Amino acid sequence: MKSSSLLLRSLATALLFVSFASCSENLDSSGVCSVLCPPVGGNVQNITLDAVVLDTTVQSLSGLGTEPGLLLASRGDTLDTRVIIRYDSLPFTFSPKSDTARPITSVDSANLLLHIDTLSIKGASQVTIEAYDVDTTASDTSKAAVLALFRPDRFISSQVFNRADLKDTVRYYISNAAVLAKIQNKAQLRIGLRASGLTSAQMRIISTEGGSPPRLSFRATPDTATAPLTLSPFSRTPAGEAIIAYNLSDYTIIAKGPPPGSPSNLDVGGLPPRRVYVRFNIPLNIVDSATVVRATLLLNQIPNPLLDPTDTVLILPSLVLGGKAVTDPTKAAQIVADITLDTLRIMPGGSGLREIELARAFPIWRTQSPDTIPRAIVLKTLNEGNSPLEIRFSSSEEAVALLRPRLRISYTSRVPLGIP
Amino acid sequence: MRTLIVAALAMVLIGSRGGAQGALSTQGLGYPTGQMSARAEGTGGAVADFDALSLVSPAAIAGVGASALFFQYSPEFRRVTAGSSTANTTTARFPLVSGILPMGQDWTLGLSSSTFLDRTSETSLVRRQLVGADSVNETELTKVLGAINDVRLALAWAGSPKFRIGGGFHVFSGSNRMTLSQLFPDSAKYISTSQAARLSYAGFAGSVGIEFHPSRAIGFAIAGRMGGDLRAQSGDTAIGRARLPNHYSASVSYDGITGANISARVARDNWSSLSKMGSSVKGFDAWDYSVGAEASGPRVMQRLIVMRAGARFRTLPFGFNGQKVSETSFMGGLGVPLARDRAAFDFTVQRAGRSAGGNINERGFILSFGLRVTP
Repeated sequence: MKSSSLLLRSLATALLFVSFASCSENLDSSGVCSVLCPPVGGNVQNITLDAVVLDTTVQSLSGLGTEPGLLLASRGDTLDTRVIIRYDSLPFTFSPKSDTARPITSVDSANLLLHIDTLSIKGASQVTIEAYDVDTTASDTSKAAVLALFRPDRFISSQVFNRADLKDTVRYYISNAAVLAKIQNKAQLRIGLRASGLTSAQMRIISTEGGSPPRLSFRATPDTATAPLTLSPFSRTPAGEAIIAYNLSDYTIIAKGPPPGSPSNLDVGGLPPRRVYVRFNIPLNIVDSATVVRATLLLNQIPNPLLDPTDTVLILPSLVLGGKAVTDPTKAAQIVADITLDTLRIMPGGSGLREIELARAFPIWRTQSPDTIPRAIVLKTLNEGNSPLEIRFSSSEEAVALLRPRLRISYTSRVPLGIP
Repeated sequence: MRTLIVAALAMVLIGSRGGAQGALSTQGLGYPTGQMSARAEGTGGAVADFDALSLVSPAAIAGVGASALFFQYSPEFRRVTAGSSTANTTTARFPLVSGILPMGQDWTLGLSSSTFLDRTSETSLVRRQLVGADSVNETELTKVLGAINDVRLALAWAGSPKFRIGGGFHVFSGSNRMTLSQLFPDSAKYISTSQAARLSYAGFAGSVGIEFHPSRAIGFAIAGRMGGDLRAQSGDTAIGRARLPNHYSASVSYDGITGANISARVARDNWSSLSKMGSSVKGFDAWDYSVGAEASGPRVMQRLIVMRAGARFRTLPFGFNGQKVSETSFMGGLGVPLARDRAAFDFTVQRAGRSAGGNINERGFILSFGLRVTP
């Protein structure tokens, strides 16, 4: 090959390589921006508004038994909660190994398999868990009727646990005779659990909604070659209400709850669970014309020393979706959507200024009219219905203006992009 | 409420923004690529007034010979230095495409499109902002893509080998797509924002050019473009209006040396007419000087290679901090005939140095690849 030809080919190859390399653009000249790039976007403006037009404490109406946990607590005069578990469909026959089905005539090793949230356990000493037969024909949601059945003639069994015995999974043995009697009478088994002890005791048992229902297990024959029978919670009532019946297959009932806070305060959490509904009046020019980069609800916390004042409660703000037609704040506070994964970690015994971030609500408020999506949020606890802890805030009825709820908004004006 | 009023007033007073180009050459409405073919660039632009493929003088298309289609690719590798800070960028441009059709013995028609002002840039600026009770770093990303393009329909007449005259009608169009993002660090607390806008341009101009070759050894050319109105609008809203800059150029070409050509050119552009487009657009009327030569070089693979070299000095249209930005370029290149002269490939490399005084400097390597095909 001639040297001139080689030269031309080498040059062509080099040019081809360079042209391919330059096809991938790199326009970023940030390295010299400190000198050559004046800021284009506007400065952030901060404004604090008395924008709250309605704030109130409302009940959480999520429904009995919808919680992912069952709170079993005995906290002296402050808190007493019971756990109800329904096994409304008991088997009447069993199949021995390599044999045909036959009626159940004996019950052995009857127990409830309970999954405990060990982080929720309170009380360092022994706790006694008593089981009662709480089957009744009274209304499904009648708290008084069920509580009245925790009496000696309904007593089924009792078991004492040391703190060390309370692990992730606990077997609670109940009376074999009680179970057999229900089977032979073709009755339904509804068990009420109550905790008692010399000192306070509290634990959270994972519920059906939590994914690990308390299962009833027993042997219908002493022959260990035959597998034990295992039942999940099941409720036949209310008839025709499958979802409610599912929720009522296991639930918590409050025998005694901590006293509610002052009606002039805003209370979040507790038992029965409460939420705070807050509606704002935000200037239209901020919602529609400016770009909100941060919005913070400023609340003054009032200490609540009643129960576990140094425990942590997670508060989550949610966006109210109930439109103009939903005028009742209690109902509106149930139709919500979570707008942030960020929670406020707070102790019931704490006090002072607390900040709840709401910036994620503004993009939704901008695209929807107030009639469709009101400028309102709800504060609820992440463990709603599972924890007795209650957080209290000053409301807009607070005498000192600085302690009332306020809304701090940080925004930038939209910059008309165009000619330099 | 007072804060709101102040903010609203500030919003009105700020007007439109689109700065933060991050380079000396892309200030204002952008960088003028020159509208020259790879061949003309190889001579520093000195032969542009005689070059049929460049979008400078409409008279030049009469010298095309055979009909031609031409396409050019010109990436620029740029390095901007400001004190101890540097930024390296690569910008891919397709600055020129043209088609020229001889119609009979005397007339030639040409349709060309070239990049007039290229505003493509991207910057990222970090600054401290007080958001609520916290002082946080905000990252401001600005991206501008697009250019103003010049589409020219030209007609030229060559009654004799000594004289050519041509006229052109120019339509200026194009758009800038701009994105501004303000990013904040903690997405749980802050919402990062993004804005986008599209700015479109429309304008007209007319041009005329004359070539005179009193002998085979020397030629003269003059060309001019009279700018009409250039309008800028965003959506349906007109946001700027200015006169397109007038352009004048004069060239001399010497062919007295066998196989070689030496040219010189001087041009004047009234860029200041674009200053009315925006409050911060400051255009400078600019001179553009160039000198260059091309000569038949070695024969490679039975092809006669044309070698070119040139130099150019010009002032860029838009300044930085009120100072003019000057550009000095040195270039070299070659031309290779292909397919038995039914096609030609031109390649030019130019090194451009730009400065506005102070400690900010810019160096660019622009490679131009031009392919001419005779259908």
